[in-house]
Amino acid sequence: MRLDDLLRVSVRQVLRHRRRYLGVVLAIALGVAGFMLVMTMSRDFKKNFNRDLNLIGGATIIRMYFEDLPDHRPQWFRTETLAGLRRIPGVTDASLVALAGSARTNWRTRQYYFSLLGVDDSFWEVRGLWPLKGQLFHDADVEARKREVVLGTELARRIFGSQEVEGRYMEIDHDLYRVSGLLGGITDSSLANSAFIPLTTAQDRVSGISLPNRLYLRVLTWDDVDRVVAAVPAAVSAHQSADLLRVEVSWEALKRVKHVAWWVEFFIYLALSATLILGGFGIWNVMMAAVRSRTREIGLKKAMGAEDRDILAQFLSEALCLSVGSAILGVALGRLAMEVMGYFIGSSPPLDLFLICLALGLLFAVFLGVGAGLYPSIQASRMEVVSAIRYE
Amino acid sequence: MANGALISVSNLAKIYANGVGTIPVLQKVNLKIFPGEMVAVMGPSGSGKSTLLFILGLFLHPTRGSYHLAGEDVLKLDRTAQAEFRRRRVGFVFQSCDLLENSTVYENLEFPLIYAGVDRRERPARILAALEQVNLEHRIHHASNHLSGGERQRVAVARALVNQPQVILADEPTGQLDRSHSHLIMDHFAEIVKKAETAVVVVTHDPEIAGRCTRVCSLDDGILYEG
Repeated sequence: MRLDDLLRVSVRQVLRHRRRYLGVVLAIALGVAGFMLVMTMSRDFKKNFNRDLNLIGGATIIRMYFEDLPDHRPQWFRTETLAGLRRIPGVTDASLVALAGSARTNWRTRQYYFSLLGVDDSFWEVRGLWPLKGQLFHDADVEARKREVVLGTELARRIFGSQEVEGRYMEIDHDLYRVSGLLGGITDSSLANSAFIPLTTAQDRVSGISLPNRLYLRVLTWDDVDRVVAAVPAAVSAHQSADLLRVEVSWEALKRVKHVAWWVEFFIYLALSATLILGGFGIWNVMMAAVRSRTREIGLKKAMGAEDRDILAQFLSEALCLSVGSAILGVALGRLAMEVMGYFIGSSPPLDLFLICLALGLLFAVFLGVGAGLYPSIQASRMEVVSAIRYE
Repeated sequence: MANGALISVSNLAKIYANGVGTIPVLQKVNLKIFPGEMVAVMGPSGSGKSTLLFILGLFLHPTRGSYHLAGEDVLKLDRTAQAEFRRRRVGFVFQSCDLLENSTVYENLEFPLIYAGVDRRERPARILAALEQVNLEHRIHHASNHLSGGERQRVAVARALVNQPQVILADEPTGQLDRSHSHLIMDHFAEIVKKAETAVVVVTHDPEIAGRCTRVCSLDDGILYEG
């Protein structure tokens, strides 16, 4: 039997019995679509989840600083070091910070003490902070060395007795600063009691503020943390001494997040695998049923001169049409789901990963079709003509 | 070819073993059929008529005896060669108008051609020619389950003819048809043996159908008698 005849006859058979095969087709298609979605979109999904993770402890923020030892020259992060750290694969952003242990302000005859941090414009993004009131200062404000201050909620309540502080002025280290906004998204109480001014302004105007010797790195996903931590010393050493460098990560939080994520991913894959295995059993089952219900047809075809291998090839090819057809439907559904999910989480599905999934999906479908269809096909091919023709 | 016989069967026996004992279905069958002959095989139910036909079509292997088709000992053929034999040398018509369900008349006639490796471009003409022999060319694209009993049996005859076999084996081809359709089928067989050097073996209960054949044989207790 020629290949083109075989394919034509098999496709025709599958289409004519499409109602019988509907359940199997849907099981395999949904399984393939689900696998594609998890494989292609999980990184983007983790990235978005990671951003929200700051609310539960910022497990993917790496904190770095130079230790201040009495008999050593103080160290700080150079501009080129910052650029080098930003280039490490998996790092999404980096922020430089300088800290004044204690600053003071006067308000209506009273004095208030608080922590003052000089930060760059990336600080908000890296630490996952947003304005509760007003706005946070930007790149241009840092460049222009503006006297703007952002207050933590607790500090604002302590000084002004309210959260309506935008546009007010406060004195810090004998300079007047305009309050530009109130900081939201804080899970750390020390930040709620702090004030934030542009790093450049702090270096110009605040006496006793440290050199910018603290740095925060935001990492894309929790899977990237280990790799980034390992790459940090070399990235720093390329531009300056890393002798006093200290790197801190919330390892315990990270471990727990990874653990939870692993189980979630495991159950998703398990559920999808179960769907595909059920699809495989479905093919086996419908092909066995087809062999039984088409026994007379098999006998008739053998009486017309079909060889055992013709019957084997026909049933195997029908199983393959079923599995590959289902996989193609699954790929289409998966692509559609990728686009929809990409729209909602604000990312575009990576084409190379999609093509890999396409190839894997089709390969798996061939494996499934052959695996599930082989035994029924062998059964069909071994039938004797007379018993098949007389089958009721 | 022994004495010009197309089919030459001698001392053919088929004995089934059922665990308790043996059942001799065919005991001693000797038969010669020549090209252009239409031979009827009659006999009561269970006399082994269908078994003989299945052996002639190489669907069953006899317990002993010899079977030559056009001088060739076909009982020595292996499984692949047996399929080749069924593709090219015999055409089979079954009692129960067995057509492939959910298929058109064209598709039913195409399968023997597919298995015989006939070129795809050549198939429509061959199918049309076979259908013309049974006056059903106008039904070529109709679904087989939309045909009447008589039409289905004529399609089965056309399918047996499509590969231009040397022998047509028909197992009670008119068993489910009324008188007029039965005669129509026999007319087609008569036409076929007249046109081509073909032999037709018809198994039947019906003396009237047997009377349309050139020769009648009877099977009784597994022994074949002429006349």
